[in-house]
Amino acid sequence: MNPCQLVPASHFTLEQLVEAYNHTRVDYMVPMPMNAARLAEYIHVYDVDMEQSVVAVDGERVLGLAMLGVRPDRAWVTRLGVLPNRRRRGVGEALLLYLLAASDRLGISLVTLDVIKGNLPAHTLFVKWGFHETREMIILRRPPGPPQHTAAGRCRWLSRAEALAVAQTRPRPLTWINDTASLAHADCVLGLTVNLPCGSRGWLVFQKHRYYLTRLTMATVEGDPTAVGRALFYYLYQAYPDIDTNVENVAVTNPHLAAFLDAGFVEAFRRVEMYGQPLHGCGGGPWPGGTVSPSGKARR
Amino acid sequence: MARVLLVEDNPHHVELARRVLAARGYEVLTAPDGESGLQVAREQLPDIILLDLGLPDVDGQTLLGWLRRVPELKDTPIIAVTAWPAGAVPDMVAAYGFDGYITKPIHFSAFADQIATYLPHSASA
Repeated sequence: MNPCQLVPASHFTLEQLVEAYNHTRVDYMVPMPMNAARLAEYIHVYDVDMEQSVVAVDGERVLGLAMLGVRPDRAWVTRLGVLPNRRRRGVGEALLLYLLAASDRLGISLVTLDVIKGNLPAHTLFVKWGFHETREMIILRRPPGPPQHTAAGRCRWLSRAEALAVAQTRPRPLTWINDTASLAHADCVLGLTVNLPCGSRGWLVFQKHRYYLTRLTMATVEGDPTAVGRALFYYLYQAYPDIDTNVENVAVTNPHLAAFLDAGFVEAFRRVEMYGQPLHGCGGGPWPGGTVSPSGKARR
Repeated sequence: MARVLLVEDNPHHVELARRVLAARGYEVLTAPDGESGLQVAREQLPDIILLDLGLPDVDGQTLLGWLRRVPELKDTPIIAVTAWPAGAVPDMVAAYGFDGYITKPIHFSAFADQIATYLPHSASA
């Protein structure tokens, strides 16, 4: 297996990283390409630490990259990708081990990641290094359109501060993308509450992004989740009938899933969340400018 | 001569598609992202639009909504081009109002024929 040099992602411009990232994903079933603005937003919202994130190079040529989100209690492996013609040579493994070693140095005890369901090579790599599945999640889309059902009850709109406060009451653990820390970094976060005649009540928090509604999260405080969900979506789409909606990482066990489907959401694809641990004393990187073999052991 | 707008960020795919379609007599317009795709569509009013669902600034589903708000494009065939998991694609494209979809990897030998099926007879290449 060929060695590669691992360099902190902070040594590269956003434009370089975007170009490399898009090339690594070109044949993915869900490529999710980015431009520099989108990557900058991603880094900000998800607390990606560019010093701990890494790019694999062979001389001047970028072979792959991987990023690490860092929060006080855990880390998140994200955007890991290797050029199609450089796979199966240990580069992905070297990138992963670099991040796991970085997590260890930071004193983090839990490392999480999300892998697209059906991405067997990635899933196999993660299992090899101790990751296990925790939940399956759906990415849902809703095209623009008015509410599909009517609803009774009283609605109250929440300010950003109120919305973040209710979002904080959600039971843990939350996925990285949907965590309150991610919401808190996002612009234009709003929410609403509903109280139904039957006594059911709940709330919904979302981001009004430039292009779509996103980061939807909801909870039923009391009563029937499906009824609460339907009412929340009624008021939401009464207010925003002309905007697309993109919701990531809704757990397949979410009690409001029926309400999502009733409101006109369709499934785009699925992810699987996985939990693992940092790698202790692997002997691997990060050694900026050093070389790491696929086994994770450093070579000088 | 029918005009095809291809909104696709992968330059390799763009070049292959351009060659295949031009050889069949189509005039090929291209745009590498959503915002430029909207601009080209407004200015050129193509006969058919092919949208990659994964674009670097905004995805194809959202772009479709923008395009349909242009009065001159409301009846233009708009086709999703996607590698997304096959099971989810039909419901997705139907919900958003695409006129059809082509799955990736594109079989370029059949690509021009696939596009022809979505064109009104008078606009064919």
